Amino acid sequence: MLILESLGKQFDGRAAVDRVTLRVARGQMLGVIGRSGAGKSTLLRMINRLVDPTSGLIRHDDRLVSALKGRELMRWRAACAMIFQQFNLVGRLDVVTNVMLGRLNRHGFLGSMAGAFSAAERAVALQALDRLGIAQTALQRAETLSGGQQQRVAIARALLQEPEILLADEPIASLDPRSSKLVMDALRRINRDDKITVIVNLHDLDIARAYCDRIVGLANGSVVFNGAPEDLDSQALETIYGHDVETGSLLDEPRRPTDFRVWAAA
Amino acid sequence: MASQPPVLPATSSQSLSLFERQLKAQRRDKRLSTLVSLGLFLIVLAWSIEVSGFAPSVLLAGLPRFGEYIHLTLPTLSLENLLANTDTKGSIPYWFFNFRHYVVLLFQTINMAILATLVSFVLGAALSFPASRNLAPNRLTYLLARRGLEIARSVPDLVWALLFVWAFGIGPLAGIVAIIVHSTGALGKLFSEINENIPMSPLEGIRATGASWFQEMRYAVLPQVMPLFLSNVLWRFESNIRQSSVIGFVGGGGIGEELYLVIVRNYYEEVSALVLLIVLTVTCIDLLSAHVRHGLIGKERLA
Amino acid sequence: MSASPMATIDPATRDLAAVLAAYPEVFKQAKLRRRQRTAILLVIAAYLLFAAWFFDITPYRLFGGLGNMGIVIRSMVVWKNVATWDYASLFQGMIETIAMAFLGTLLASLLAFPFTFLAARNIVKPVLPRHAARRFLDLMRGVDQLVWALVFVRAVGLGPLAGVLALIASSIGDLGKVYSESVEDIDQKPIEGVRSTGASRAQELRFGLLPQVLPVLLSQTLYMFEHNVRSATVLGIVGAGGIGLQLSERIRVQYWDQACFIIILIVVTVALIDLFAAFVRHRFIGKPVAARF
Repeated sequence: MLILESLGKQFDGRAAVDRVTLRVARGQMLGVIGRSGAGKSTLLRMINRLVDPTSGLIRHDDRLVSALKGRELMRWRAACAMIFQQFNLVGRLDVVTNVMLGRLNRHGFLGSMAGAFSAAERAVALQALDRLGIAQTALQRAETLSGGQQQRVAIARALLQEPEILLADEPIASLDPRSSKLVMDALRRINRDDKITVIVNLHDLDIARAYCDRIVGLANGSVVFNGAPEDLDSQALETIYGHDVETGSLLDEPRRPTDFRVWAAA
Repeated sequence: MASQPPVLPATSSQSLSLFERQLKAQRRDKRLSTLVSLGLFLIVLAWSIEVSGFAPSVLLAGLPRFGEYIHLTLPTLSLENLLANTDTKGSIPYWFFNFRHYVVLLFQTINMAILATLVSFVLGAALSFPASRNLAPNRLTYLLARRGLEIARSVPDLVWALLFVWAFGIGPLAGIVAIIVHSTGALGKLFSEINENIPMSPLEGIRATGASWFQEMRYAVLPQVMPLFLSNVLWRFESNIRQSSVIGFVGGGGIGEELYLVIVRNYYEEVSALVLLIVLTVTCIDLLSAHVRHGLIGKERLA
Repeated sequence: MSASPMATIDPATRDLAAVLAAYPEVFKQAKLRRRQRTAILLVIAAYLLFAAWFFDITPYRLFGGLGNMGIVIRSMVVWKNVATWDYASLFQGMIETIAMAFLGTLLASLLAFPFTFLAARNIVKPVLPRHAARRFLDLMRGVDQLVWALVFVRAVGLGPLAGVLALIASSIGDLGKVYSESVEDIDQKPIEGVRSTGASRAQELRFGLLPQVLPVLLSQTLYMFEHNVRSATVLGIVGAGGIGLQLSERIRVQYWDQACFIIILIVVTVALIDLFAAFVRHRFIGKPVAARF
């Protein structure tokens, strides 16, 4: 059981996430929806501790996640895998190596500096890729793959972490509908078959309804809805998205990649 | 409509005169700043001529002596004996009678540069990560690494050599260490600039798997920057070859020691022989490394 | 929702053996890579062993030397009798260094200017004069500044004059090369435009080419000046004037504290000159040009 207790994050005095209290049962598939800037991404990053919360607690079973440091923190990150909107693969490494990077936490300093992954790890990586239907790309550079394929590589990498929780931050925001479906199906299957808790940020309401067991709506950093997909009526939507639900601004603008600076080979 | 024409010329002439006035003022400002710059420039020029003793009289007296010197260093070659043995005056072997010795020294010089480049590549690469603003684990390591590299770089390698010759004694080791320190600084700075231009998302992806800082550098940064590191280290190798050929002037080993000796002892023909040999070697290595570098870049483009 | 009809994801995960059998090349490639990496590491290790033998680098010598260096550094940070130091000659030396660099760069840029056109492929079409010019530049560049300095010290005597001449000699080569290369990189259209008005060849260069390259040349000359300030600091070590002479003298008599002061003086001066050059470039030229020295 993952428990967030009045979790908050301030950026320059502005609350991105404001006293969020949430319980996520083991094996649940939880969708987080809300306008862009509602704090969805910050919330997920805090759970994985890529962002440090400014207030509140995060617990997982008997672990006090929000207080972890050093080695323990890295172990938590390994147990709490994350996939990103922009996939965040190492484009110049081949696909199977990218997947094996999910094992880094289990390697010592010298072994990982030498780049020594075992044959067994390579085999499991290949199996994960095969399961996601992209094993034939194993030796290609990750940057040569399509967005949908890259996101599945990222999922395979997450699988190799053998996580207890899988966080997905807008996993389909940069993908076409067909790839989106493949990726969401994969997340769903991982959730069902491997009994891994999945928390996914989504901008697409229909997808959230179709795939998630439970939905949390965020507005201005606070939880304004928390319930089953069926309970998501027009009144709830209005509290989440404001008044212009009908005009289509319900969909977040898929965020542009901001941190991809032009690679000037000077 | 009809009421407008009288207004228009008035504004027009007004704005025209304003334009002219502004133009004049601008020109005056520009002329003034040009004059001031020129004046300053001439003052600095006169001052530097004064300080460095660059008087026409000294120059006129010195230049013929320089011509004479160059003339003295040129070998006396005669066409009929050009390829004769080392004992015949006017032959190339006579000119390069010490060739074997030179080759040994050249070999030493090149190996000094290779070893120094190799070591400084590893050190510079390792230090470039904490010295990059976007990668440093914390501000203190960043400042330490950055300042350290800057000091290593901004002290010329000849000055390092002066110090290390005292510490290690005369010989190649002192020269190698001096070149290592200087080029670690130069490469580290260059590499950290390369590091500062990489996309950061792969690092975040790797961090999210529970990887350590070292693992992030190894797997998210190194694959991205390695090709650029390699082409830059080749460039550095070229300049290390040049440096290792003169570091012997202060006792740092290599062919520079011999060159210093023959210049100071006025073994004129040996001066030209050695200089020619060094220039040829340096040029060959430049060409070779340019070739490899283009190969590297070409491969990068294709992949 | 679980078993989606359009999914290409294999619904039944294949067992490990089947996967391995299906993609043998992934393991072959891993083995190949490991072999390559081992081979490279072995070569490097072998070279390091050879170099250690060739240069007689033993841990004993290495640590002994570093230990001595520790002593030097320790005596560098303790400044004794600061009041008695000969500041006048130190600052004189530094000023001399800057003057040498200034004069050397200025004269070298004037002398190198003709090569801007002479050695540029798109200006001088005949091969012979162009190649002659290039080889001359290569020769000037190929001979190290320090060698020039030593030669000029023999020719015109000790002092800054030899240093200025050495800076001129090697800078002609560097500047001639980058000048002509920047002319080769130039946009041809303005030249054609000037030609279309019926201008002579000289007029083409004056009005079509020069306005384009002049800022670039100036910027490169400034880089050369920065570079020359750095190199002028060491010319004194072989007797060609400037702060280097002071430094090598202090080191010879082991006045490490004063040597440290001089090194700091050099580092600070070089940094100030770089700032100044960056200011001038920004103020008067504007267009950024990559440093090539």
